[in-house]
Amino acid sequence: MEILIDRSSPTPIYLQICQQVRGMIASGALPPGFRLPPERRLAAALGVTRGTVLAAYRELRADALVDARVGRGTSVLAQRFHAQPSPAGDVPWNQLFRAAAARPQDPLVRDLLELSERTDVVSFGIGLPAPELLPVSTLHHLLDEVMAEAGAAALLHSPTEGHTPLRETLAELMAARGIRCGPAEVLVVSGSQQGLDLAARAFIDPGDPVVVEEPSYFGGLQAFRAVQARLLPVPADEEGMRTDVLESLLRRQRPKLIYVLPTFQNPSGHVMGLARRRRLLELAASFQVPVLEDDPYSELRYEGEPLPSLKALDEAGVVLYLSTFSKTLFPGMRVGWLVAPRPVVRQFALIKQSSDLHSSTPGQFLVERFIRRGYWAPFVRASRSAYTARRDAMLEALAAQAPEGMTWRRPEGGFYVWGRLPNGVSMTRLLGAAASAGVTFLPGRPCFIDEPGGEFVRLNFSHPSEERIRDGVRRLAAAIASSTERPRAGTPAPIETRPIV
Amino acid sequence: MDIVLARRMEVVRASDIRELLKLTSRPSVISFAGGLPAAELFPAAKIAEAARRVLIEHGARALQYSTTEGHPPLRAFVAERMNRLWGTGYANDEVMITTGSQQALDLTGKLLLDDGDEVLCESPTYLGAISAWNVFRPRWVEVPTDDDGMDPTALEQLLDRCRRPKLVYVVPNFQNPSGRTWSFARRRRLADIAKRRGVPVVEDNPYGEVRFEGEHLPAIASLPEAGTVISLGTFSKVFCPGMRLAWVAAERNLLAKLTILKQGADLHTSTLDQMILAEYLASHDLDADIRRVASAYRERRHAMIRALEREMPEGARFSRPQGGLFLWVELPEAVDTRALLADALQHEVAFVPGDSFFPSRGGRNAMRLNFSAMPPDRIEEGIHRLGGMVREALARAHDETLVVA
Repeated sequence: MEILIDRSSPTPIYLQICQQVRGMIASGALPPGFRLPPERRLAAALGVTRGTVLAAYRELRADALVDARVGRGTSVLAQRFHAQPSPAGDVPWNQLFRAAAARPQDPLVRDLLELSERTDVVSFGIGLPAPELLPVSTLHHLLDEVMAEAGAAALLHSPTEGHTPLRETLAELMAARGIRCGPAEVLVVSGSQQGLDLAARAFIDPGDPVVVEEPSYFGGLQAFRAVQARLLPVPADEEGMRTDVLESLLRRQRPKLIYVLPTFQNPSGHVMGLARRRRLLELAASFQVPVLEDDPYSELRYEGEPLPSLKALDEAGVVLYLSTFSKTLFPGMRVGWLVAPRPVVRQFALIKQSSDLHSSTPGQFLVERFIRRGYWAPFVRASRSAYTARRDAMLEALAAQAPEGMTWRRPEGGFYVWGRLPNGVSMTRLLGAAASAGVTFLPGRPCFIDEPGGEFVRLNFSHPSEERIRDGVRRLAAAIASSTERPRAGTPAPIETRPIV
Repeated sequence: MDIVLARRMEVVRASDIRELLKLTSRPSVISFAGGLPAAELFPAAKIAEAARRVLIEHGARALQYSTTEGHPPLRAFVAERMNRLWGTGYANDEVMITTGSQQALDLTGKLLLDDGDEVLCESPTYLGAISAWNVFRPRWVEVPTDDDGMDPTALEQLLDRCRRPKLVYVVPNFQNPSGRTWSFARRRRLADIAKRRGVPVVEDNPYGEVRFEGEHLPAIASLPEAGTVISLGTFSKVFCPGMRLAWVAAERNLLAKLTILKQGADLHTSTLDQMILAEYLASHDLDADIRRVASAYRERRHAMIRALEREMPEGARFSRPQGGLFLWVELPEAVDTRALLADALQHEVAFVPGDSFFPSRGGRNAMRLNFSAMPPDRIEEGIHRLGGMVREALARAHDETLVVA
C-alpha cells in the first residue's frame, strides 16, 4: 500500500490518505478483507500524527469502505458495487466513475418533480409557483413582439454572459433591491442551480471546506457535494445563521465559501436579522471568505418590514449574489442570474462556456421584454397576495387538523411552512402512509448535514390551491396520526438533545 | 478582496483566439470561423408558430419545472429517430435531454474523469470537448487518425501504455474540425478494441444527419462488437441553436447517474423550449428540413472546394467532406496559421487556426473552415483573399530561408 503525501497541497493530509485508499479500494488494488496497517505504523511510515491516520480511517468507515474490529484491526469491506471478475466487454463502471460521481446521491428532487405532475396527489413536496398565476397570455403576446422585432436572432446563439439587454434590465432590477451594479457585473445562468454549480466548480477542490447553514437548501448541498467539498454546518436559529458559532469556526478553519440563504430560508423560512447580517459581512471581510448569498424569495414577503440583502450591505465586495425567476415568474425557462465583482463574472463565464455555452436565447428575450414592458412589479404584487392567502389557508388548516405535539413556524414570506412532527412518528412509516393517502411533502433529512433532522417536514403552500391545501393537510394529519409508534412498555422514551430550529 | 479560486481553475483561461474572433461578428467580415448553421435556413416563422401554440394550449405546463430526464415525447422522438437512422436499440428511458451537447460533454466528464485519467481522442479533435473536459484535468492521448478514422493498431499500442484510460472520444461523421467520416471497418475495429479493453466510447454525432452525398453509416453504438457506448446528439445543427437542445443516450445505470449530475447542474432543460420543439416535430417533417439545409450546404461546400482548388498554392491539402459544416486545410509547413489569422483579420476574413484542435500540440500549419454560414459568392471572395495571403506568407518564408542560408 503506497500513499503519497503532498504537504504543499491545501487538501488536508487525512483526506489525502482517505482519497488514495478509497482509490485503491475502488480499483481493486486493495481487495475485500485486506487489512490496512495499524494506525500507529502507518502514521510512523508517513511521518504524520496518529490522529491524522485515525481521522482518515474514520472517513473510510463512514463511507462503508472499511470496517474496524477490536483485535482484528481495520479491513476492507466487500463493496456493494465492487466489480466481480467480468467477462470481456463488461465495463466495471464503478471503477470508472469519478470518486464524486460514484457516491450515491439523493434522487429526491427528481422523484418529487414526477409526483407533482399527478392530479390525484396533493403536492406539498416541491417549490413550484402557482400555475394559475403564470402569465401565459402576456408571454404569448410578448412572443409575437419578439419574433416580429428580433426574428431569427431570438433563436440563435447568444453570449455566454447573457443577452446584453437582459443584463442591463437585471442591473436596473437590482437597483430596486438596493444593489448597485452595472450590466458587466451580471451573469445570466440557466436557473440558480447552475449558479450554485458554477460557484462550486470555481472555488472548490476536493476536500475544501464550505460553510453552510444547518438545515440548508439541499440543491446547494448537492452542488457542493458533487465537487467533494467538506461541508461545515453552522446551526441556525430564529435569527438565521449563528454568527458566534461561525466566528469560532473561522478561527479554526479556512473555508473557501460561506453559503447562506438569509431571507425566507429554504427549508426553515427563517429571516436573518439585520445585526446578524452585518456581523456575517464583518467576519467574511476580516477572514477574507466570499459569501454566496442565495436569494430566490425576497420579493415574496407577506408581512413585516423588508431587510436589505447582504449584497446591498456589502461594502467590502465579498458577496456573490444569486437570484432567479423560477420562484416568481416561471421555473420552466431556467433563467437565473448572478451579481458579482467582474473577475468572478469573467471566471464563471469561462466555466459556463464549457458547461452549456449559454442559456436559452428565446427564454432570455422573453424575460427581458416582460420586465422592460413593466409587467414585473404588478405580477409580483399579484403573486404576493395569492400566496398570502395560501399561506394563511395552510396555517389555519394546520391549527385545526395537526395532531397533538406537532409544531410549525409562521413564515413571513417565501414558499414553505417548516414543521416538526410529534415525538414517536416514524418517518419511514409516514412516507408510506402519506403516499397512500395521496399527499407529498419534503422530509427534512436531506437538508441536514450532521443532525439527523428526521422529525422535520417542509410543506410548500404556493403551488396547490387553498382548497387543495385544506384537503392535503387533512390527509397529512391522518397519515401522521397513523404513523406514530407507541412507546414500548419498559423502554424509556428517547432523550431529545437536539435544539429546536 | 483576493479571491482564491480552486486549483482546477488554472486550466480555465480565456483563449486568445476566442478574443480575436470576437471581432468577426461585424457583417463586413467573411467569417469561416464560426460553427454556426446558416441563420437564414432556420424555419424561424414556423418555430414561432409552434411556440405560440404551446403557450396557448399548454402554457401553464410549459412554464413550470419539469423532470430532469426531459419531456417524454421528445425522448421518445430521439430514441425512435436514432434507432431508425443509426441502427441503435435505445429505449425511451435510455435518453436524457440536455441543455445543448456542451452540457452532455460536461456531464460525461463529471461522470468519468478525475485528475490524470486518460482520454483518448482523434487527432485533431473537437474544441468543445477539449474545453469541457480540461476542467477535470485529464491526460489527453491523441491517437493518430487518417481519412478513415483512428488507426486501430496505434490505438491498441497507446492503450497498452495508459494507466487509467477512461474513455475514447470520437466524432465518426463529418468530424469537427477535419470533416472526415470513419469507414465501416474502422468503426468495427474501434468497437471491438474498446469492448475488449473495457473502455467506454463516447460517440458524438452532431453533424451526421447533415449528409449531402453518400449513405449513412451505422453508429458505433449499433454494432454487435460494441461494448458500452455513450451516444451524444443535438438539435442545434438542424433546428435552432439558441434553444440549447441536445441529448445523451446510454444504458440505464449510466443514465441514472447522469440524471443526478444534471439535476445538480441545472435541474432540467428549459421546459418551454422542449415543448416547442416537440410541438414543431409533431407537425413538421424534420427530414424535409434537413434535406433543404443539406442541399444548401452542398452548394456552399462545392463553392469552397472549387475556390480552394483555384486559389491555394501547390502543397496545400484539404478534405472533401460529404456532409457537415467544416473542412480542414493543411498548408505547407512554412505557414503558421496563427500568424496568418492576424493578417486575415486585417483583410476581414476569419478562420480558426488548426492548433486549437490539438490538446497538446500540432496543426500549426492547418486551419478549419466553416462553409455553412456564408453564401457561395462570399465564400469565393473569402477564399480568394485567403489564397493571396497564403501565397505571400510562403514567399516571405522562402525569403527568410534564403537569408538564413
